[in-house]
Amino acid sequence: MWSFILKRLAQGVITVWFIATATFFAMHNVPGDPLLNDRAMTAAIRANVEAKYGLDKPLGEQYVIYLGNLVRGDFGISFTQENREVNDIIREHFPVSATLGVLAVLFAAAGGVLWGALTALYRNRLPDYVIMFFVILGISVPSFVIAAVSQLALVGVNAALGVTLLPVAGWGTLWHMLLPALVLGMGTMAYLTRLMRSSMLEVISADYVRTAKAKGLPAARIFTKHQLRNAILPVITVLGPSIAAITTGGFVVELVFAIPGLGRYFVQAVQQLDYTVIMGTTVFYGAFLVFMVIVVDVLYGFIDPRVRMQ
Amino acid sequence: MSEQKDLLVVEDLNVEFDTYGGVVQAVRGVDFRVAAGETLAIVGESGCGKSVTVQSIMGLIPMPPGRITRGSARLRGHEILGQSRIDGREIRGAQIGMIFQDPMTSLNPTMTIGDQIAEPLQVHRGLSRADAAREAIRLLEVTRIPEAAKRAKQYPFEFSGGMLQRAMIAMAIACKPEILIADEPTTALDVTIQAQILDLLQELQAETGMAIVLITHDLGVVARMADSVAVMYAGKVVERGSVDDIFYRSAHPYTLGLRAAMPSNDPALKQSLQPIEGSPPDLFAPPPGCGYAPRCPHAMVVCESQPAETPLAGTGARDHAAHCWLHHDESPMKPAGLFFRESDASRNEKFEGGSAVEEGRNESRR
Repeated sequence: MWSFILKRLAQGVITVWFIATATFFAMHNVPGDPLLNDRAMTAAIRANVEAKYGLDKPLGEQYVIYLGNLVRGDFGISFTQENREVNDIIREHFPVSATLGVLAVLFAAAGGVLWGALTALYRNRLPDYVIMFFVILGISVPSFVIAAVSQLALVGVNAALGVTLLPVAGWGTLWHMLLPALVLGMGTMAYLTRLMRSSMLEVISADYVRTAKAKGLPAARIFTKHQLRNAILPVITVLGPSIAAITTGGFVVELVFAIPGLGRYFVQAVQQLDYTVIMGTTVFYGAFLVFMVIVVDVLYGFIDPRVRMQ
Repeated sequence: MSEQKDLLVVEDLNVEFDTYGGVVQAVRGVDFRVAAGETLAIVGESGCGKSVTVQSIMGLIPMPPGRITRGSARLRGHEILGQSRIDGREIRGAQIGMIFQDPMTSLNPTMTIGDQIAEPLQVHRGLSRADAAREAIRLLEVTRIPEAAKRAKQYPFEFSGGMLQRAMIAMAIACKPEILIADEPTTALDVTIQAQILDLLQELQAETGMAIVLITHDLGVVARMADSVAVMYAGKVVERGSVDDIFYRSAHPYTLGLRAAMPSNDPALKQSLQPIEGSPPDLFAPPPGCGYAPRCPHAMVVCESQPAETPLAGTGARDHAAHCWLHHDESPMKPAGLFFRESDASRNEKFEGGSAVEEGRNESRR
């Protein structure tokens, strides 16, 4: 087990290095210049600034310096927000995005497993049709539409009740988080429901479920011990990429609900060619996702003994 | 045979399945009896309804699409079709145990072997977790699995096929059932392992006195294991009797065809495999008469239009019966008496399989 985890971590480090390298060279090949903004800049000032950020050195040397800083965990200083360290930006805003993301993943996973199992048990009957209708809706409608519509609906409900059932936007308490997390997790929940449904249908007709019935076990025990645990395996496999989709997809939802997350810095930085912030957030997100995938793999090992042994 | 002695009596069992192509009449009026402590073999080719028959009795047929349209199955006189318990006791797992064809897929891949064996003990006998776990290890020892305590903590993927089937048997006999249904228990295993599993079943039967219903298409297995035999074809029992009746006094042309089709390992016999020509009838629209008539070398006009309603006795020996018009009083074959008797085999080349069967029988007893 430990050698498995260590191996996956080593692979993860290589993946992050690859992400960092690819981002570095891609970014430096984008037309444009981070120092070209509306402020007056003489050649002398420009040279000074370039020297400050190390932009006057050859690209190869910049890359080596950059990797050295990265290893020490130093992402540098923002180009556009002067004297603000990228580390500070991440430290300040990532927890918000992460909280939202984790909550959304929880919603998606719990909902997906529950609805998926229900549709399989009620296959081709009314609950199946109703749930699958919403699943198709959830997969087809993009999150910014759901975000806006749900916000509008919430405004209506709050107005009708005369009390604030849930805050419509902003950040701070758990009540602020519920709606955005639900909206953020909706697409993934729909996707996981479909996956869980097909996986559950497969398990329902599996030989070992027939064995369990032949043993005379009560239906509830067959469901929890023999069906659910086996049906959930494919769902856990895609949970890693799902976490990726949710955390990176959070930007739009953060914008609609006015949540001070990291996503907005990420997009701003790309627009302004803020090299250090782009590099910092990309590498950080990359590392975070790689880590989450490893966590999921380890989790998978706990549920499926066959993976644990390899 | 009296009801007293018969542990399980199945009468006129009819099972249908709804499919996109129409209704398949998989089982069409099956009768058989199992006495306490005996081994009944149900033989027949793939798709003849053997497995559906026993799965219906166990309530394992998914409904829908499956449907038991008629019939009864009584355990010690109590109807069990559609019931999950009699005498306040669960039938499945407690009074009737069952093992399946493919042990590789019949065990839950995410649960340890020990836990899976302990499950019925906890559920039916109310044993505590620790007691059930201990009993599971004992059962693994009973089924001759070495290092049982260590093996109980392992998962199915760490077991070989033969070991898994042993574990399945341990699970099926955990609650000391009166009947063990074995649905082709050795089909998925290689030959040496097959013999070990069959030996194990016989030993366990001798120890516990349970009856065994053995589903198979292997006549070698039948010869080795069975006390009595039911031969199934196209959803019906065409002949039933003691194992000697079936092998030496076969009364139905299909049984003879099966015997002739048995491979022989005797080099002196310059006889290649004798297949039964043709294929089984379409059970979407089963023929009105005998299902075997189109393939039967002795078929008469009546065979195609009417089923032989009453089981016509072949030898007059107790419980030996065949559904075949050839044994009718007006049949042209009738004057010869039981013409399928072994001594009459010379009447038809097809029947020469008899000696090969005997060889095979001795072979497997060795």
